[in-house]
Amino acid sequence: MDTLILVIIGIVAGPVLGGLVAGLDRRVTAWFQSRQGPPVTQPFFDVAKLLGKERTVVNQWQILCAWVYLIGAATSVALLFAQADLLLIFFVQAVGAVFLVMGALAVKSPYSQVGAQRELLQMLAYEPVLVLVFVGFYLVTGSFSLEALWAQETPLLAKMPLLYLALGFALTIKLRKSPFDFSTSHHGHQELVKGVLTEYSGPYLGLVEIAHWYETILVLGLCAMFWHTNVAIMAVLVILTYLVEILVDNTMARMTWRWMLKRVWLLGMGLSIVNLIWLYAR
Amino acid sequence: MFGSFIKKSRAKSPWIMHFDCGSCNGCDIEVLACLTPLYDVERFGIINVGNPKHADVLLVTGTVNHRNKKVLKNIYDQMPEPKAVIAIGACGTSGGVFREAYNVVGGVDKVIPVDVYVPGCPAKPEAIIDGVVAGLAKFAQKVEEAK
Amino acid sequence: MSNLLLLLILLPVAAALVCYFVRSSAVRSMTVVATGVVLALAALGLLAQGTFEPIMVGSFLGIGSDFLISVLDFALLGVIYYYGFKHKSLLIQGFTLAQAVLLVWFEVFSLKHAAVPALAGDQLTLVMVLVISIIGSLICVFAIPYMKKHEGHQHLEKSRQPRFFFFLMIFLGAMNGLVLSNNILWMYFFFEATTLCSFMLIGHDATEIATRNAVRALWMNALGGLAFVVGMMLIHFETGLIDISAILAGGPQGVVMVTGVGFLCLAGFTKAAQVPFQSWLLGAMVAPTPVSALLHSSTMVKAGVFVILRFAPAFAGTFLSTGVAVCGAFTFVACAALGVGQSNGKKILAYSTVSNLGLIICCAGINTPLALTAALMLILFHAVSKSLLFLCVGTIEQNIGSRDIEDMRGLYSRMPRTALITIIGILTMMLPPFGVLLGKWMAIEASADANIFVVVMLAMGSAMMVVYLARWAGSMMGTREEGTLSESQPLLTSVPLLTLCLGAVVLSAASPWIYNSLLAPWLGSTPFTVGFGSLESAHGTFVVVPLFLVLGLGLLYAVRAASGYRKSRFTPPYMGGANSSVSGNYVGPMNGEVEFSAGNLYLDELFAESKLTPAFNALAVALIILMLGGAL
Repeated sequence: MDTLILVIIGIVAGPVLGGLVAGLDRRVTAWFQSRQGPPVTQPFFDVAKLLGKERTVVNQWQILCAWVYLIGAATSVALLFAQADLLLIFFVQAVGAVFLVMGALAVKSPYSQVGAQRELLQMLAYEPVLVLVFVGFYLVTGSFSLEALWAQETPLLAKMPLLYLALGFALTIKLRKSPFDFSTSHHGHQELVKGVLTEYSGPYLGLVEIAHWYETILVLGLCAMFWHTNVAIMAVLVILTYLVEILVDNTMARMTWRWMLKRVWLLGMGLSIVNLIWLYAR
Repeated sequence: MFGSFIKKSRAKSPWIMHFDCGSCNGCDIEVLACLTPLYDVERFGIINVGNPKHADVLLVTGTVNHRNKKVLKNIYDQMPEPKAVIAIGACGTSGGVFREAYNVVGGVDKVIPVDVYVPGCPAKPEAIIDGVVAGLAKFAQKVEEAK
Repeated sequence: MSNLLLLLILLPVAAALVCYFVRSSAVRSMTVVATGVVLALAALGLLAQGTFEPIMVGSFLGIGSDFLISVLDFALLGVIYYYGFKHKSLLIQGFTLAQAVLLVWFEVFSLKHAAVPALAGDQLTLVMVLVISIIGSLICVFAIPYMKKHEGHQHLEKSRQPRFFFFLMIFLGAMNGLVLSNNILWMYFFFEATTLCSFMLIGHDATEIATRNAVRALWMNALGGLAFVVGMMLIHFETGLIDISAILAGGPQGVVMVTGVGFLCLAGFTKAAQVPFQSWLLGAMVAPTPVSALLHSSTMVKAGVFVILRFAPAFAGTFLSTGVAVCGAFTFVACAALGVGQSNGKKILAYSTVSNLGLIICCAGINTPLALTAALMLILFHAVSKSLLFLCVGTIEQNIGSRDIEDMRGLYSRMPRTALITIIGILTMMLPPFGVLLGKWMAIEASADANIFVVVMLAMGSAMMVVYLARWAGSMMGTREEGTLSESQPLLTSVPLLTLCLGAVVLSAASPWIYNSLLAPWLGSTPFTVGFGSLESAHGTFVVVPLFLVLGLGLLYAVRAASGYRKSRFTPPYMGGANSSVSGNYVGPMNGEVEFSAGNLYLDELFAESKLTPAFNALAVALIILMLGGAL
């Protein structure tokens, strides 16, 4: 019963929190650029407007894929709140991500085609890192289930500091932040128009946006799990992490996929492997 | 309730698409100036998008000629309803000093319906922002009338 | 009971003889369909009777069955030697001669000829029999219309289909024999029989390239046969046993015996086309598609993993076990990487097969109950999904004349039904809540106990697999123009496709119950408990049925939303405003129309096959030497 309530909270609160995070993100970014920026609730206005727009599509696959992306993302957040198996959460999240890409590939648009290919490369970069983070989690708690975490007395960060850094790579990619925002970005103008999102429009873009909020909550939720013993420190950790993300976003240029694969595979995987060796040896 | 929230949101989140029809770049610079910290149009939820499929408001600068009128029409058609068009600068509103040239069709309104005209050569950023706000009021009215 | 077993092994042989000698195509079709139905029923009957203890097989026409098998063994080696001689392959001749010499020495001087129960069946066997008899039969049925069309393209004077179906049917019988064997000599005989069948089928079209690839397959598998003989002899040398269930019950005993099992694993590697032996399976693509489907899903390569999985208890806890796990994981990641660089649909499937087999072998190497369950799950679900995909590619190839995934772009507009089935097939290969992913999930969770090399390789490989499958599925979706003709499939094509497609989905949904009734009793300990339609273990929980419900209902809703697409306005894709009248095209320089074209990123600089293969082969050879050397 408790689980059910938590799941409902997750599904309802997920997009609300995710939208607020997105709003704060824009606000803080504006602050970094000495602007005032939009109100914190701006993402909600944006999405509401998108949902109210005319439905225009290139073909029906886009509708299907936008919905499945949303459903996949929402289910993964629900599983996170149900404290389910981490690998399962990750694989369910992949359902959404894969459908987003497939919807973009279904359209004869050069921009969304190239965007989709790049999105796949991003998945190629972050997926192994995430799996290794979960394996680290298993080595510490003795289970892949999030539930097992609460039995731990010390925060995970103490045992998995390097894995947390590696998770940062995955976080940056998942949040579509520079230098890894080459499949699509929050900013209107890039060389691919809007990359993988180019052909999603109106209500379907709105759905994609909500799904992205869910994903934001999912990755931030994973970060929060690194300090489960104290809610205040957990909040500080998440806020700090997100501030660093915004700082990185504002100070980095957009890079190429070659650069990304090299960095994430060598540095990200390297950090994870070193941390895992330490956990195995312990 | 959700319907009224959507209606309210329309005015709060005008995403603009800027199309340079055949401008001398004077007005274009001014449009982009709106995004700088000095004017910071993102305060009003305005975002400059690169894709008509995501846009609510089309800003057009420069004269329309026979080569690009099809492009202008295509871009307008790809914008989902409700949408507004704002013609910027002397050339956009009427063809300006080029209106008698052999290759020029005239102002933007020769090809697509224009909601707001922003004069100036070039138009000032304040005037452009004012034009966008006026355009939003106009298309709120249009949506109202359509019902 | 024993009648059922003989039926499973001998009926295909009898059917094969009918196919070969009666040249009427109607009789042949009838025979194949009837055999398929009977085999499937027999397999289900065997399942209903459950597992059985090792049983003796009596004499046949007054000749002892063991003696008969020995005679057939040498006959088979003779045939293989003949083909080695005919195609001037010294490797085949050498490997076969060596096998024959060792076998003579073994049977005449070393072996004490006591009666050994010839057949046995545990859960592993039952699952394999089901896979072989049902999926294999479906593929054979699919082959009937396929081969008709195939020969239509070839303009032969005399149909070669009798020969084709002869070997196809024999293959099923040999596979059933292999998995049911309890006498290691019987297993060896059937092992060799599958080698010969695959050689014949790969070379079926008798083109130059087909012959060359068939010869390559034969020498690699002859090497496997040699390894099998050596392994068998070493095990017998140490334990004095040729009874498999007795060998397994004894567990690992001494260096010589474990080395022998190591050689058996090597034989499994060659048959399962593990790196560095993957080239024979890739070469096998020249054969007609039903052959590829059969080799890849239910027979041949599964024989390889079966041998390793069968002997897993015999090397539990030894260094060999770790070695097998590392070799399997290496194949998994290496072939996933090679798959990223491919645009040939059949090659992608081939690399994905080898990759998944690597994963199964890796699980056998990890050798915990959790890992072995994962291996069996993967065998079952991979067979369904992969055979489906091969049959789809075959159908597509016969219609569009290409197996390149770039040519399948927007296939939905031309072949909506096949494209849809293919897309579903691909999704069942890589996404939850489907069975292959369930197996992969178990494998990764099990690998966390093993060692860090295995974990890292599995993490990398699984990401790469998603890349090459997702882009294939996505690019097949496309806009279907109003008023285009619907697609028609022959009945014998659509029945196997739909059955497999449904099977992949329904079996996945039923996986908790499949686990409970089929797999759980296999190992002494049960790694999972089933509750609320989910599989729970100490490592974690996979909520199968709830996930099916949530994602299934979600998908239904999405499909409904998408089928209301006519309410939406259709716009062409964004082309900077320069759209032409055709969706996707744009007006380019000089008012010329530029057609849409797209290509996947194959990342040649990182994943070029020609560059990676030699490096991977060298590494794999080193790993295998390490594996066998460590066993000593």
